[in-house]
Formats: sequence, C-alpha cells, structure tokens
Amino acid sequence: MELLVSILALGSTYALLAAGIVIIYKASRVINFAHGELAIVGAYVFHSAGFLTGTTLTALSLATSIVVAAAASAFFGVAIYLALMRRLLGRPTFVAAMVTIGLAIILKAAIVVIWNSRSVGIPIGRQAVYNFAGGGRITWIDVISVLTCVAAFTALAIFFQLTRLGRQFRGAAENPLLAAQRQVNINLILAIAWGVAVFSAALAGVLFGSRSMLSPQSTIIGLSGLTAALVGGLDSLRGAAIGGVLVAAATYLTARLISPTLAETVPFLILLAVMSWRPWGLFGTVEEINRV
Amino acid sequence: MSRLRGIGAAFAVFAAAWAATASANAQDYKIGYITDLSGPLAGSYTPTWQGFELYVKALNDRGGVNGRKINVTIDDDGLRADRAVAAAKKQVESNEVLGIFGLSLSSTQAPVIAEMQKVGVPVASTFSAILDALPPAKPNYFSTGVTFEVAGEAIGVLQKQIVPSGKVVGITFDSVGGRAANLHNKLTVEKEGYTWDEVLFPVRTADFTPFAQTAAGMKPAMIVGHYGAEQNIGIIAALRAAGYTGPYIIAAYGASEDTARQAAAQAGSGENIYMVSRYAVPTDNAAGMADLLAAAKKYGVANPTSMHVTGWVLGMFAEQALKNCGADCTREGLEKAMQTVKLDTKGLTGGPIEMSADNHYGPTFWRLYHWENDKFVGVGDWLKKTGLEFPAK
Repeated sequence: MELLVSILALGSTYALLAAGIVIIYKASRVINFAHGELAIVGAYVFHSAGFLTGTTLTALSLATSIVVAAAASAFFGVAIYLALMRRLLGRPTFVAAMVTIGLAIILKAAIVVIWNSRSVGIPIGRQAVYNFAGGGRITWIDVISVLTCVAAFTALAIFFQLTRLGRQFRGAAENPLLAAQRQVNINLILAIAWGVAVFSAALAGVLFGSRSMLSPQSTIIGLSGLTAALVGGLDSLRGAAIGGVLVAAATYLTARLISPTLAETVPFLILLAVMSWRPWGLFGTVEEINRV
Repeated sequence: MSRLRGIGAAFAVFAAAWAATASANAQDYKIGYITDLSGPLAGSYTPTWQGFELYVKALNDRGGVNGRKINVTIDDDGLRADRAVAAAKKQVESNEVLGIFGLSLSSTQAPVIAEMQKVGVPVASTFSAILDALPPAKPNYFSTGVTFEVAGEAIGVLQKQIVPSGKVVGITFDSVGGRAANLHNKLTVEKEGYTWDEVLFPVRTADFTPFAQTAAGMKPAMIVGHYGAEQNIGIIAALRAAGYTGPYIIAAYGASEDTARQAAAQAGSGENIYMVSRYAVPTDNAAGMADLLAAAKKYGVANPTSMHVTGWVLGMFAEQALKNCGADCTREGLEKAMQTVKLDTKGLTGGPIEMSADNHYGPTFWRLYHWENDKFVGVGDWLKKTGLEFPAK
C-alpha cells in the first residue's frame, strides 16, 4: 500500500511534467528539453518567495509562495515564447528544440548564480495522514500531489474540450495554416501554451521539492517527464498521465524488487521498448515522425 | 601646453602606480585554487573556497608570509576532470603558481595530480582526499581533507556512542568513494559486533523514496549516509516518511549545519540526526573559530559553516607551508616544505595536522555531533585515526 501511494504521488509529479511537454508539442511540434530546469527554477522561486514575509513557514508565506511562483512561471512561459520561440516559427522544429537545450543550460546556470547551488527542501505537507502498522506513512504531500494532478488534468480537459480558446488551440495544433486563415490568433495560442506548460512544470517542481529536495541535480526529473511523455504519446494528455505513473512504477518497483542501482535505468528500457513497438507512444496519434 | 602637461603628469602618475602594483605583484607568492563553483557540488565547494579566501585576505592584511603577500588565482572546474586539468595547466604555465590548492571531487583530483607530478607542482586538497596522500604517500600530493576510507572507519567506531549493538545500514550512491566509505564502515562495525546491510542508489537520483523504503524495511538500529549534502536532505525526509525514526548519521562530506537544518525542516523533525566530522563546527568554543568568525564579519561572509572551516584550515596549511619554504620559495621547495608542516589549528580540528615525507595526510581526528536546538553539539571526545585499519581496495 505504501509503495502504491508512493508510485501514485511521484507518478503525479511526472504526469504534470509530461503534460507541459505535451502541451508545447501539441501546439508547436517542439520538444522542450528545458522542462526539468523550468520545473526546478519554479520550485526555487516558490521556496524563495516564502521568505518574502519572514523566515518561518506560515500560512501567509505559503500563500505568497503560491501566488508569486504561479504568476512568475506563467509569465516566464509567455516571455520565453515571445522572446525566443516566436522568432523560430516556420523554421525546422529541430532549431527550436536546440534553443530549448540552450535555455536549459542557462536556467541551470541561473540556479548556480542566484541560489548558489544550495540544496533546499520545501517543508510542506510532511505530516502523516495515515500511519501503517509496520512503519511508513501516507503524508499530506502524497495526497496533495495526487489531488493536484487530478485537478490539473481535469482543468486541462475542460479547457481543451469545452472552451472556445481550447477548441482554437486544438484547431491550431492540427492545422496551423488553416487556423490562421480562420482568424485564430496563433501567437496567442502559442503564448498560452508556453504559459500553461511552464506553470505545470513549476507545479511539478514544487511537489517534487516537497517530497524530496531541490538542487541543480534535481533538474534530472525533466528526463523522467520527457520519458513519460514519449511513452504515453507526445500529443496525448491521457498518455502523459499514464506515462507518468508507468515511469514512477518502473523506478520504484525496480528499486524495491530488483536492484536500487538499476532504478533509473529501467524506465529508459521501457521507453526503448515502446518506441520500437509504437514510435508515436501508447496513446499518441499516428503521424509522420519528425522528432529531434 | 598646460593641458598637455596635465595629461603627461596624469600619465606619469598612472605609470608609477602601475609599476608599483606590478612590482608589488612580483613580490607576491602566487598560488592557484581550483574547485567546483558552478557544477553539481558547487553548494558544498563554494563555502570551502570562501573559507580559504577569507583566511588569505586576513593573512594579507596582517602583512602576509615572510613579508610577502599571497596572490591566489581561482578557477572553476564545474566538477569536470578535463576542466580541472586545463585550469591546472593554465595556472602553472600562465599564472606561474608555486602550488595548487583546493580541488573538487576525488574523480577530478587524480588527473590533476598526475599532470602536476609531471611538472613538479605540489597540490594540496581539502574536503575530498584520495589515497595517494596516505603512506606510502606519492610525491606532490597532500590533503587536509576527508578520505572516504578513513572516514568510514572513524564513523564505524564513533557509532558505538549512539547504539551499542544491532544492525547498521549504510546508504550511498554508486560511486568509487561511496563504495569505499561503505566498505570500511562495514568492516569496522562488523568488528565491533554489529551486523551490516547496505543500499546503493544511482548517482543521478533525485527522488530517494524507494531507497529509503528499502533501508527502512531492513529494520536498522542505525543508518549512515555516505554522500554529499543534498542527498542527506532528501534521504532523511524519505526515511522519516518511510517510518524510520532511529538514529541517522550524516558523514560530513560537504555537509554542514545547513544540511541538518534543511533536512530537519524537510523531515518535519530534527530528532536523531547526527554528524561525524573531521572539522569543528562554528558553534564550538575554539580560538581558531573566533578568528574565523571575526574574519567572516570583517569581510562580509554571512553565516559561516563547517565547510568554511575546511577552507580556512587549508589556508592555515598554505601559510605554514609557504613560511617553511622561505622568502625564495620554489615549487620544489614548497613540496618539501609541505612535508614539514606541523599545524596547530587552534581547535578547528581535534589535534594538529602533521605531515611527513612518507605521510601526506597525517593523523586525523573525528568527532560525533548531535543536532540539538538548531545547532550541532559535540558528543564525547575527538577520535584519533593514525591510518587505515583495513587495507584499501
């Protein structure tokens, strides 16, 4: 039971990361290699914002962190699009992907410069919700991780299915030229995509930092998010959710049942297997593969 | 005309000032410092460099060594061996340094030392140390830092002060240093009558939950973590969430009070957290610590930690080596001078740092600390280790 809860909690974090990657890919066919860095920078901002109101964790500092990190991440996502990605519209997608690699390097350097590479934790939700008889417990952050993931995916589903902007988004993703001819504002759609994606990355970063801790090394979670997105299908939100849980399950079950040292390797074996069998992922749309 | 004279006078003043500066610089002892200031372990190595820099600043303000000031060239290796080697070559060829200090992780040290041995430049490391410094010591390499094998054995002995018997679980990441520390910890505790089990996780792990659950499932009486500062924060929180509330020992490889503070906050409790360190902590009552804290205040270094102490002690070592080397110090002379260092650290270590021709590490002293009321408090006396009890593999 304890293992299952852990898998769901970490899987939720990976699913949120994968969702951001999927949103950007759906909108622009660009794979964002800076997603892990964006997640951890967002989490560091959350951590630092908590000290704006004092040195101890209070309801006010938590609220400040949430507001500042949410606003900063969404704004930063839009800014990335306007400053960098918009200029690359119409260019081969690998150019934009290379730009995201450069962005990842810059963001990692920012962690070093701004936060001195300091390892920090986000001490929220560590209290037990339920204690198991043989030791071990379910913590609030486990519950919050799962509920946040469910809420985020529900909100995204409602946005894409029921709102006018969401329908325009889907139209632009399927055929940007046709959508533009029908007066859909492509720049607005892409800016929103980046804003939402970076917001979800920061959300994942905060949940991760609350379960584990933050350091420059933590940006490695971006790789897990990308693996989840690829396994689930790069244009499928449902795939992102299932991919996240699959990657977390593979990591945890390998660590517990086979060998801890293989824990980070097995998800990539699963990725290789899925890519060999269904290159478009478990739930992705069959399309001409044109990936970096 | 008068305008031209003014320009000429200004130029003359500038030239004189430049000549004076150049002349003063020519008199300085030139040494190099290489460490990780931007890589994955910059959080641990940066305060070590700050401690060294702090000592040199204070020393230069006192007039330097043998009437000469110390000029330090600092380079960042980003925890990459190729960058460390390139920086060392640059410091030797362009900056004409007498010796190189600092260095980062043990994996970056070996190639630097190999290159420096070719050109006869002495190297003194802090924080991380490799076995080349232990008897029979290889030439040109010295260390005032932590050798994983020695630390593993010291921790194995000091653990008796926490729990007298039962199972000890060692957790480490899958690296040469981590495995070495675990092995020597295991051999020592088994000799002391404990049983041993261990958990290894990949170096690039970010989420520690499954490894903590595995360790907690082993029902240990005590857990030791052999890795850097950041892993301790994640592991302690994950262990507490997995239901393990027993003693946890932080092996001080880059960890400090800040590590314990973060870990305690993240875990929801600071109970049963210990640390074994080769260096004193800032809250210890020692003459050397008062000097360090005064310098930190004077030069604006906020909240010095035990990682600053490691760099400060290396600064003391550099001072004495240069003093022994004399005013006309050469690289060869500095290597010989380092072999004669007998350094009273004024309470920053449990005893003096003593080098010899055969032993470039010397006896070391280790202490168990307990986390209480937001600070580390010493438990018992310092343990003296004169070498390895079990042969290194």
